[in-house]
Amino acid sequence: MTALDGIQAAATVLLGLLVVGLLKSHADILRQLHELGAGRTEEPRPVPVDLAVGSATGTRAHDMAGQTPDGEAAAVAVLGATHDTLLAFLSSGCLTCNGFWEALGKGGDLGLPAGMRVVAVTKGPGEESESSVAGLASPGQTVLMSTQAWSDYEVPGSPYFVHVNGSAGRVVGEGTAATWPQVVGLVTRAAGDRRTSRDGAHSRHNDGQGDRIDEELTAAGVLPGDPSLYPTSPPEIGDNE
Amino acid sequence: MRISAHGLGLEVPSGWEGRIRKQLLPSDATTPEAAQLRAHAVLHAANFPLLEERGDFGSGAVETMQSGHAFIALVEYHSSSVGTALFGSGVGMPRQLSTEDFSPRQLQRTIAGQAGTQRFFVEDGRAFCLYVVLGSMADRARVVPKVNAVLPAITIAAPVPPEWLEAM
Repeated sequence: MTALDGIQAAATVLLGLLVVGLLKSHADILRQLHELGAGRTEEPRPVPVDLAVGSATGTRAHDMAGQTPDGEAAAVAVLGATHDTLLAFLSSGCLTCNGFWEALGKGGDLGLPAGMRVVAVTKGPGEESESSVAGLASPGQTVLMSTQAWSDYEVPGSPYFVHVNGSAGRVVGEGTAATWPQVVGLVTRAAGDRRTSRDGAHSRHNDGQGDRIDEELTAAGVLPGDPSLYPTSPPEIGDNE
Repeated sequence: MRISAHGLGLEVPSGWEGRIRKQLLPSDATTPEAAQLRAHAVLHAANFPLLEERGDFGSGAVETMQSGHAFIALVEYHSSSVGTALFGSGVGMPRQLSTEDFSPRQLQRTIAGQAGTQRFFVEDGRAFCLYVVLGSMADRARVVPKVNAVLPAITIAAPVPPEWLEAM
């Protein structure tokens, strides 16, 4: 009997440890789910990211095609444009986006650097309500519905902003924000940083050669991203002089 | 990057943007003729940002043009126009224009420094006006080749069958 009692006691202790372990594991899972936002009823607040140092900064930009909320087939030029473009990836369903729709709908001076164009981009009609987007967009506001654009720019969710330098054909900043003034502040600061950096580079070289090359290539129809700028094999050395 | 709608298509070159829509009409246009006009297509292409509120012939957009800019409008007309003298050239849509084709007098609305050209034609049984505006007459030698790179990229399909129009 004594041996049996000992085995019973050991089994009870083991079972107790197993239960404690399971409870601890369950608590860890619940805590992690909570951190991910599960079970919250309110809209999760976007985490501000510096538009100047987004993960895809420096990657090649893309032109965009889709349709407008009122049914026009539309292609919007981003590459090769002489201006910068701020792409505002929004949706009709996210509560945080409402503030951005309202800010963009006010028109006039949005507080962005001079010449910057703003294009609101929603997913295409298959994944977004045309009438809802039409109701949120203001007359005169450029809105493109294009799921392909979301894919091309690898947009993780809305709201999300991508700043493209048209002449370079590159993404120069991206991220999310909670309010329009926050976007304006980040874009303006990033533009200032780039200007300072460019001025510094010019003062070091002081020959303007890069600008001249860009202008000559553009005049010859060779735009940023042109395959001829990225040869896959070294040029052959000939004997013609 | 290609867009297409209403029997028109455009392979949009880099640096250009395009739109294809149905014709704008007054909201009180409810006659059968107006219903047919609603089926008529309008294509716009430009190498500058197109404003969203613009007329079929570019009013609202051409006012923002600068030197080096070009605007192309392809506007469809009523099927009864097919065979009339205005559309009777029989050569289809011009895919190449010359600098001599442009003049300030061909603008829908005169804007200082700009130049334009208009061609009326029938292609694939559909009547159209091709209207091209240059931001600067003085810069036409540099800009007309850019326009000529876009015109061949425009495609026109056969007209919408009448029974489709009746159902609209």
